Amino acid sequence: MTAREPSPEPGSDPGRAHGWVAHLRSGGTTPWRAWSGVAAPTTRALPGAQQLELLRRINATAGVPVPTALADRVLAAPAAGRGKADLPLLGLPAPSYGPRPVDPARISPHELLRVASVVLADDLVDLGPDPVPTSWARPWRRRFQLVGDPLVTVAAREHLRARGRPEGGPRPFVVAVGAPLDDLLAHTWTQRCFEHGSRPWADWLRFWRERDQLPARVDLVDSVRRRGGRRPLVRVVTDLTRLPGQVGVRHLPDVRTPGADQAELARRIAAVVGLRVPSAARPALMRTLQRRIPDTGVAPVGVPAAEREWVAASAARLSRQVSRAGYPVVGDLADLTPRPARVAAAGPDDQQVLDLAIGMVVDPTWRTERQVER
Amino acid sequence: MSRRVLLHVGCPKTGTSYLQDVLFRNQSVLREHDILYPADRFDAHFLAALDLMTLPWGGIETEAVGAWDRLAEQVREWPGTSIVSHEIFARATPTQVERALASLGDAEVHLVLSARDLVRQIPAEWQENVKHRSHITYGRFLRTIRDPERDSRIGSWFWAVQEVPDILERWGASLPPEHVHVVTLPPSGADRGELWRRFSRTFGLDDLPLDLTAERENPSLGVPETALLRTVNERVTSIIAPPDYRPLVRETLAHQTLSRRVASTRLGLAPDDHAWARELSQGWIDVLAERGYDVVGSLDDLLGPDPGPFADPDSVPAEDLLPPALDAISALLVEAARLRAVEERLHEELREAREERDHARLTPTYRVKRKVVTTLEDSPAGRGTLDAYRRLRHRTR
Repeated sequence: MTAREPSPEPGSDPGRAHGWVAHLRSGGTTPWRAWSGVAAPTTRALPGAQQLELLRRINATAGVPVPTALADRVLAAPAAGRGKADLPLLGLPAPSYGPRPVDPARISPHELLRVASVVLADDLVDLGPDPVPTSWARPWRRRFQLVGDPLVTVAAREHLRARGRPEGGPRPFVVAVGAPLDDLLAHTWTQRCFEHGSRPWADWLRFWRERDQLPARVDLVDSVRRRGGRRPLVRVVTDLTRLPGQVGVRHLPDVRTPGADQAELARRIAAVVGLRVPSAARPALMRTLQRRIPDTGVAPVGVPAAEREWVAASAARLSRQVSRAGYPVVGDLADLTPRPARVAAAGPDDQQVLDLAIGMVVDPTWRTERQVER
Repeated sequence: MSRRVLLHVGCPKTGTSYLQDVLFRNQSVLREHDILYPADRFDAHFLAALDLMTLPWGGIETEAVGAWDRLAEQVREWPGTSIVSHEIFARATPTQVERALASLGDAEVHLVLSARDLVRQIPAEWQENVKHRSHITYGRFLRTIRDPERDSRIGSWFWAVQEVPDILERWGASLPPEHVHVVTLPPSGADRGELWRRFSRTFGLDDLPLDLTAERENPSLGVPETALLRTVNERVTSIIAPPDYRPLVRETLAHQTLSRRVASTRLGLAPDDHAWARELSQGWIDVLAERGYDVVGSLDDLLGPDPGPFADPDSVPAEDLLPPALDAISALLVEAARLRAVEERLHEELREAREERDHARLTPTYRVKRKVVTTLEDSPAGRGTLDAYRRLRHRTR
């Protein structure tokens, strides 16, 4: 590699770039390649091609000019993480050093997501955590500790606390919520994305497969032991319709499983939120996002075919461990067995994630409307 | 006294760990001489850099919340000279540079960049990648960084923190050239104190009674040791999480064990890569000379050493990997034994605590109370009664 010679093209002066910035700030949607207007610079540093292209797509999705303050936030947002830094625009006098100029229209969804996740993380931090409803603890409540499927237990815990039935108390029943192991793994990763974040789904699954271990919340027997559960005071629940009875209520709300795109976006946002608020404050913010993130109809993540054999073997081992421990089972232990492959996203699709992210930037109702319980 | 900020933004692998360690340990001496190095922990400026650049970093970033703003505030409030130093600032984008410089207030900013020739930097950066969980081969690493597209994560990072003219353009564009100081690293074989003298002169530390003992360095590895570590990474990167990798592999294995094998062959560049690196370096030297920066040392230092014998780390024979592998196993066993001792001690403490608790529960009165409580807890009415009783006794849990 050698230093690049400046190679100005006809009409390729920086004024054209500043003109495009002004065009985008006022709601324009013209691609860079088709742009020819000029304007005086308003800032010394030009935003990167990623920021500019993201704003263009936001404008295109919005259909009307977005507020200038929002446009400026998008242009000033860094691309999170250790990937490419801000990229120069193709067609300007090429700098001798630094990253190669790019055509913004050809920037991958992955790169645009790095910027969008910062904008959304800042929105979430500004929004703050939703208040968690609580009620006075009913003295006659059943004492319980919930472990197992995090999607179910997190939602149930909040619901029960709001109705005066918080976890804990003396001699609680340890209620371990099980599910087919492929679902349990997918739910655990998904919920991690809405707490502290996680590595990507495929990497996370590979981490546990290569270790031949189960994550803490998936390993029901270990979860019970860590809570000090003794056999008469333990229930392993595989039939979710009978879970309410185990925690002393008639019914629990249905739990929605976030789609692969929602979980992946949350994962990326969580990484940025970790740089914006203290670690202890992150789960409440991410849980707020979980309640408010718009539905898209994309299927949740699922275990890819290459991992199913390991998942099946792990499920069989977990069933044996529960049997040997002698814990009472509410339902059928066979329900821990992964089901035949169903409609599920083997991994998140970057374009779907980007569409969701842009939709959330454009339409702020997820921030402004009252939360719904999920 | 006028306010000055010396902003040291890179490059990695240029003796920065040693400089930052000296500054950190001598904060009180520096303050007595009106120099502020604001750091409540050794990596305070690293955290500030993560915060400024929104860089997640294996979980450490959660300790960086607000770190840049706190650092900048201390600098703004200091009436004399302040020093800010971390090598990953080199990666900042123009927008981040603008924000950083604006947040330092009206101080006279001096930019410092320490730079070493590419011939030595390229192998050092590959080693650094390997010490940070990567298992990319040396050959592929070289192909990656020589790819002009710089599309990969490794390639884009490498040039962002090593391309000296670009870093100086990003950070120094708004500063007069005499406020931009390029500290070159002396060539191989130079007096070990020469680099410190150059740093000392640049940062105005000459004649200060500083403790210069080397407590924290980032030692390099030999060819077989790096090859071994890379092979280990192939096995463990996907199954050892970063918080475990750092103490076990990077510290115990790389820094405390493998780096001690100082007699091993050092890594260099193959003839073709060497020629390419020197040609590129010559271009940089010409550009830097034209820009008129203050150079501490000599720009010729950036050309790098002449070609020497090259040992390829991608084809180290198994018998050369064996000695460092045995050292690694020994070190990990010793570490495992140490951790077992810690675990044993904790179990012992737990056992003693339980014994004390059980002893306290042996009284007949306690047994009767316990029986009453467990009976009551078996029914909703009993639980309500107990709850009311505890409220009366202010013992609600």
